[in-house]
Amino acid sequence: MSLLEVREISLSFGGVRAISDVTFDVEAGELFAVIGPNGAGKTSIFNCLNGVYEPRGSIKLEGLELTGLPPSKIASLGIARTFQNLALFSNLDVISNLMLGRHHLMKTGFIAGALWVGRAKREEIVHRRRCEEIVELLELTPYRRQPIGTLPYGIQKRIELGRALAMDPKVLLLDEPVAGMNLEETEGMARYILDIRDELGVAMVLVEHDMHFVMDLADRLLVLEFGQVIAVGTPEQIANDPNVIRAYLGEAS
Amino acid sequence: MDKFLNLLVAGTALGSIYALVALGFVVVFKSTGTINFAHGGFVLLGAYLTYNYSVTWDLPFIVAMLMAMATMAILAVILERLVLRKLVGQPAFTVIMVTLGLLILIQQVQQSIWSTEVLLDDPWGTDQWELGGVVITQVRFFTVLFAAIVVLGFFLFFRFSAWGVAMRAAAIDQEAALAQGISVARVFAISWAIAGVVAVVAGVMLGADSASVNSTLSFSALRAFPAMILGGLDSPLGAIVGGVVIGVTEVMTTGYIEPNAEWLGQGFHSVMPFVVMIAILVLKPTGLFGSRAVERV
Amino acid sequence: MATDDTALRLLPTRFSRVSIGLVVAVGVLVPFVVSGDFWMTVLVSAGIFAMGAVGLNVLTGFTGQVSLGHAFFLGCGAYTAAYLGAARGWPLPLWLLAAGVIGGVIGGIVGPFALRLKGNYLVVVTLGLVFIGIHIFENWDRVTGGTNGTSTSQAELSLGFTDFRSFSIPGKDFSELQGLYYLVWILAGLFVLVSANIVRSRPGRALQAVRDRDVAAEVVGISLPRYKIGAFVISSSMAAMAGAMLGVQQQFVGPTSWNIFLSIQYVAIIIVGGVGMVSGAVLGALFLGPLPEIVEKYSDKLPFLYEVKGEGGIVSIAAFNEMLFGALLIVFLLFEPRGLAALWLRAKARFRTARSTP
Ligand SMILES: Nc1ncnc2c1ncn2[C@@H]1O[C@H](COP(=O)(O)OP(=O)(O)O)[C@@H](O)[C@H]1O
Ligand SMILES: [Mg+2]
Repeated sequence: MSLLEVREISLSFGGVRAISDVTFDVEAGELFAVIGPNGAGKTSIFNCLNGVYEPRGSIKLEGLELTGLPPSKIASLGIARTFQNLALFSNLDVISNLMLGRHHLMKTGFIAGALWVGRAKREEIVHRRRCEEIVELLELTPYRRQPIGTLPYGIQKRIELGRALAMDPKVLLLDEPVAGMNLEETEGMARYILDIRDELGVAMVLVEHDMHFVMDLADRLLVLEFGQVIAVGTPEQIANDPNVIRAYLGEAS
Repeated sequence: MDKFLNLLVAGTALGSIYALVALGFVVVFKSTGTINFAHGGFVLLGAYLTYNYSVTWDLPFIVAMLMAMATMAILAVILERLVLRKLVGQPAFTVIMVTLGLLILIQQVQQSIWSTEVLLDDPWGTDQWELGGVVITQVRFFTVLFAAIVVLGFFLFFRFSAWGVAMRAAAIDQEAALAQGISVARVFAISWAIAGVVAVVAGVMLGADSASVNSTLSFSALRAFPAMILGGLDSPLGAIVGGVVIGVTEVMTTGYIEPNAEWLGQGFHSVMPFVVMIAILVLKPTGLFGSRAVERV
Repeated sequence: MATDDTALRLLPTRFSRVSIGLVVAVGVLVPFVVSGDFWMTVLVSAGIFAMGAVGLNVLTGFTGQVSLGHAFFLGCGAYTAAYLGAARGWPLPLWLLAAGVIGGVIGGIVGPFALRLKGNYLVVVTLGLVFIGIHIFENWDRVTGGTNGTSTSQAELSLGFTDFRSFSIPGKDFSELQGLYYLVWILAGLFVLVSANIVRSRPGRALQAVRDRDVAAEVVGISLPRYKIGAFVISSSMAAMAGAMLGVQQQFVGPTSWNIFLSIQYVAIIIVGGVGMVSGAVLGALFLGPLPEIVEKYSDKLPFLYEVKGEGGIVSIAAFNEMLFGALLIVFLLFEPRGLAALWLRAKARFRTARSTP
C-alpha cells in the first residue's frame, strides 16, 4: 500500500473538465512532482487532495478514504499544503501563523483558553518550542515578531512552507513554491525542500509549471495536460517520453 | 374571491414600492459590489424634498418630483465622490459601515430641517376606482404605473444607451472595462445618480401610500431588503420580481395568516418579509436570479 | 533557542503592567472622588457599553463576521433580567448567568447562518433579526409586557454579603449608582480578561485565522462551523449579559430600544475604539458611550443645539448625538480605520523612540 493513492479522480466546473481520470501514487518519503502548463489542472488536484473540492473517484491516505471529508478533517489526518498565491493569516505574526499550523495537534478549547489555566498554558509552551525549531530551520528568526503583511514575497512563501511543516504532516503539498521568485530565492527554496526531505522524511507533492526546477529535485514526476495524465515516471523516463516531448518540451525549447 | 383579488392588488402596489427601493440598492450593488444602506436615507430625503418643492414652494407636484430627482441625483453623486470613492478596494465591512454612517447622518439632517411628520399633498389623495368588487385606489394604480415606467426606462437605458452598456460591462469585469477605455469612476457616479432618482419615486409612493411622510420612512425602505435578497442582490429583474412577491406575501399574510394565527402577534405581516428572506438565504443564498462567484485558491 | 515565556504573558512589558495597574487603581477609587449622579451614570453606561462591545469585538473584530444583530441579543438579556431577576426574584448570579446562557443559545442558533452567508448577506440577515426581535418583544406579552414594556427595578443585585444597591465599607457608604458602577466594571473587566485569554490561546488564533483567510484556515485543520458558531455564542452571550445590566440600569425594558441604531452604536464603538483589539472595545465604550449624556449636559454651551424646537439653535440634542455617531463612524473608517487603540500604540512607539534617542 502506498502512502497516498489517487484513483481516477475527475472534476468539472460547469461543464468544463478541470481534471479527468487522474491516477497516481505517492510513496512514503518520496518527492513527487506534478507538472503541466497553466490551466492544466494542477491546483485543482491539490484542491481535491485536501478537500476544498470534492471530485469523483477515490483518494486514500494510508488506506483511509479522504473524499467527502471536510478540509479540516483531512488536515488533521496528515495532509498539509501551501498555496500558489499565498494564503497567510496576514494580520498575525510569524509565530502565530506557525502555531495555527499546529492547531490540529492541540486541544485547548474556548473554555480552557478563556481561563488560561493548566493545559492551555502548558500546551502553548510545548508547541511554541516546536514552532521556534521550524523558524530556525527555515531561517525566519529575524522576522518572527513582525506582522506578515509587510514582509517580502519570498519570505512570505517561506513562512507558508513553515506553517505547513508545523502541521507535522504525512504528505506536504507545495503549489508552485518558487513562482515569482528570483534565481537566488529559487535556489534557497530548493535547499529548504531538500532539507525537509532529508531531515524530516516527509513525503512531498510539488506542483510546478517550470520543468527545469523539478527535474533536478523530484524522485518521480507526473505530467498533466488539459486535466489528463500524459506520463508518469522518473526524471529520465519523463525526459525521454515521446508524449511529453511532443506536448511539453517540444514547444518549450 | 373578491378578498383575494383586493389583497392581490394591494400586494402588487406594495410590492412595486419594494421593487423600486430594491432597484436602487441593486444598481449600486451591481456597479460597486456593496449594499448602500444610505439608500434608505435617499428614499427619505426624496419624499421630503418633494414635499418641500410642492408644498412649501407651492410648485406643481410633478415639477416638484422632477426637481427632487435632480437634487437627489446631484447629492448622491457628491456623496459618492466625497466619501465612497475613497473606499475603493476596502473590505466590504468598511464600505457598509460608512454607508450606515451616512444613513444616520441623512436621517438626522432631515429631522433637523423638516418637522417630523408632514402631509405630502399628492394629487392622488384618497380617490379610488371600483372594478367589479375590486377596489383600486389611485395611489396604488399610479404606484404600479410609475414602477413600470421606471423599470422600463431602466431596461432601455441599460440595453441601448452607451453608458448603460458601459455599466453592464463594468459590472461583469471591472478591469476589462477599464482596458476598453470605460471610466469606472463615471460608471460609479451614474449608478449613484440613478439610485438617487429612483429613490425619489419610491419615497413619494411610500409617503402617498401611507398618507403622510415621517422619519421612519428610511427604515421602511430597509424593509425592501428581503425583495433584493429574493431577487439575488445583483439582478434588476430579480429586484422587481422579488419586490412583487414579497409585497404580495406581506399583504396575504395580513389577509389570511394573521386572522387565523393570533399567536404570531400583531403586525406579523411586517416581519413576514424577513422570515421569507431568512428562509431563502438558507435554501438558496444566491436568490432567484443572482450570480454566484466561486472563490478560487 | 529557548522559548521566551514572557511572550506568553498577557502583559509582557513592565510598562503595560504598570499602566493596567494604574487604570485599575483609578477605577476602584473613582466612586470615592466622584459622587455626583451625573458622572456616575455616565460611567455606568460606559461600563455596560464596554461589556457589549468586548462581546461584539469577539465576533466582528476577531472573527470578521459583521453583525447588525447585537441589539437583539442585548434585548434578550434585558428581558431575562426583567423576567427572571425582577418578576421571579432570582438572585443576581442566576439571572445574569441565565441571560448569558439564553444569549449564547440564541447565538448558537443564529451562528450557522454565518456558515452559508458572507459579508453583505450576513449583514442583511442579522438586520432582519433585529426587526423580528422587536416584533417578538412587542408581542410576547407574558414575558416582555408587550408594547408597555416591563420593569426591572425589583431585580436582585446582591452577591453574598454585598448588596450592590447599597453597600458600605468602614467609613464609606456607597449609593446604588456607585454599587452598579462597581458591578458593571467588574463584569467588563472579566469580559476583557476572558477575551484577551481566548485571543492569545488556540481558540482565539483560530478565530483570527477564519477572519484573515477562511479557506486557508480550514486547510490547516480549523473547523469553520465550530469557530464561527463559537464566536457567535460568546459574542451574543456577552451581549445578553450587557443587555441584562442595561435593563437593570434603566429600571425599565421596552421593545423599541433594541433597534438598528443600537446595533450601529455598538459597531461604531468598536470601530472608533479599534476593531480587533480588546483594549479598543473598552476605549471606544469610554469615549463614545457617554457622549450623548455629556452632549446633553453641556448643550447650553453649544449655541447650535436646542432642546425644544423653536427656542433657537439649528439641531436638536438627540439629532446631534446621532449625527455625531454617524460622523465619527465615517471619519474613523476613512482616516483611522484601526481606531483609538492604534493612535495610542503609535503614541507609545513615539514615546519609546524619543526616550531611546536622548
Ligand atoms: N473555482 C473554479 N471555477 C471555475 N473554473 C475553475 C476553478 N478552478 C479552476 N478552474 C478551471 O480549471 C482549470 C484548471 O485550473 P487549475 O487547476 O488552477 O490549473 P493549474 O493549477 O494547472 O494552472 C482551468 O481551466 C481553470 O480555469
Ligand atoms: Mg495552479
